[in-house]
Amino acid sequence: MPGTAMIAFEAVTKRFGARRGRGGVEALSSVTLEVPAGEAWGVVGPNGAGKTTLFALLLGFLHPTEGRVRLGGAAPRRYLRRHGASYLPERFRLPPEWTVRPTLVALARLEGYDAAEARRRADQAIERFGLGPHAGKAVGALSHGLLQRLGLAQALLGEHELVVLDEPTEGLDPLWRIRFRAVVEELRRAGRTVLLASHDLAEVERLAGKAVLLERGHVREILDLAPTGGERTYRLELAGEAPALEEAFPGAEPMAGAPGVYRVRAADAAELSRRLAALLDAGAVVASVAPATEALEERVRRALGRES
Amino acid sequence: MSALGLVGLELRARRRRLLALVAFAAVFLAAAITGRVLATGEHGQVDVNTLFLVGGLPLASGLLVLGWILGRYPLVAVLVLMAGLVSYDRTEGYARVYAVRPTSLLRIYGLRFLTLGAAAFALSAVLMPTFDLIMLGGEWAGPATFVLILAYVIGYGGLVALLSVWTRGDAWIALLLALVSLVWNALSQAGMLAGAPPGTVELITFLLPPQAQFLRLEGAFADVKPIPWDAFAFIAGYGVVMLALAGLSLAGREV
Repeated sequence: MPGTAMIAFEAVTKRFGARRGRGGVEALSSVTLEVPAGEAWGVVGPNGAGKTTLFALLLGFLHPTEGRVRLGGAAPRRYLRRHGASYLPERFRLPPEWTVRPTLVALARLEGYDAAEARRRADQAIERFGLGPHAGKAVGALSHGLLQRLGLAQALLGEHELVVLDEPTEGLDPLWRIRFRAVVEELRRAGRTVLLASHDLAEVERLAGKAVLLERGHVREILDLAPTGGERTYRLELAGEAPALEEAFPGAEPMAGAPGVYRVRAADAAELSRRLAALLDAGAVVASVAPATEALEERVRRALGRES
Repeated sequence: MSALGLVGLELRARRRRLLALVAFAAVFLAAAITGRVLATGEHGQVDVNTLFLVGGLPLASGLLVLGWILGRYPLVAVLVLMAGLVSYDRTEGYARVYAVRPTSLLRIYGLRFLTLGAAAFALSAVLMPTFDLIMLGGEWAGPATFVLILAYVIGYGGLVALLSVWTRGDAWIALLLALVSLVWNALSQAGMLAGAPPGTVELITFLLPPQAQFLRLEGAFADVKPIPWDAFAFIAGYGVVMLALAGLSLAGREV
């Protein structure tokens, strides 16, 4: 249902240790937020910003002290009982005695699949996340990276409209980070609503269309990560002078604290190549060019620096 | 039932506790066999007088203590197996992995309760008649044994389930309540609570686990008397109320 709000926070405040709604430590403060169905959003912010609390409220693990959370128009627990959600918790854990394959089969059964389908889905998840050689191992014997892959495997056993991933790439090696990106791209293409929290801002920028910036329980800003006017942003590093930069890349901006480095825009790889050719023809020496993955980092720094 | 897939994993996760209970049961059986070998009476049962002559007071009293504890084996099994029934999952964060599935937490924890209750029942139902058969030379207390075990599973299982929704120290608190109710019942029966304000004794007795009813069931078990079904019904009712409260609490509790 693209366009309708899948997730809605209405002036939500969460205080821990509050008595009759008063006192205690405020983890989230008057958060109002709407995430349309079918979009991928990131949640970013420093440690203790309230990211995990936001997810816990969203999934009905915690009750708001004030305000209201709606999932697909219903109370979170009611929604989940009916539809379920794909969820990877931060620091994913399961009883250490459980073994990988039976665990996935059992969790697939909780998704409502019959025994044969649950086994098929478990085997598919084992294959997808490279857990084959570890299928008979106890959860407690898995390394941090393998456990994280098991966490992703269990999260994606069902096909849910809502996907919530808390620090999904934590502990994954570079190869599995790349594979994880492909998985999220797949989910986006399938029209799922994806919410992911991460300290890896480049990861969020790659995967999400928007990012909620949280700080000390407040929504500081909602950052639009979609390429401006259909364009993509690149980081262009020149050696020496920059002749005809403005002609080749109109609107090129020097990046703060990095002499000779500019943020430039191009609609696609073909246009980027044409503009670079023009720049090279004008005598510029290009040292490097790459997608401007650090843009979100700068925006976050700017947003937080402005207030703190 | 989709939650059935968890049964094997639940037992696997508690296999150390199960093994500990089996080892604990083996102590009783070893004691019974020792008694039988050393002091078989005229009718094939273990004779305490002969045991006293062989091993003195320590051996005779040791066996009597074991016999007393044996009657509480189902309680021990329930407390050991059901400790952390819900609370452990909440502490470790496992409950959140279940809570996002399109199934009710009540169903998951209800099934866990039944699985662990059945395990506690099975262990006790093997140990207690076997102990009787060895000690009494081929006789046993009959179906009263199973009724007593079931009463412990329902009564204390329900209590642990309710406590587990609220606190991490569920089994320890249940044990404390069991001991307090044991002493309270003894004081009450000895007439030592006569000076208490009117209604206080009744209220505290009502709030504590129904020890008087357990004693009636144990009496039937020990003396091979008819089963006091009213006592069993009272305990079962107590357990069902505890379970209902646990279910209601679980539905509204944060995980």
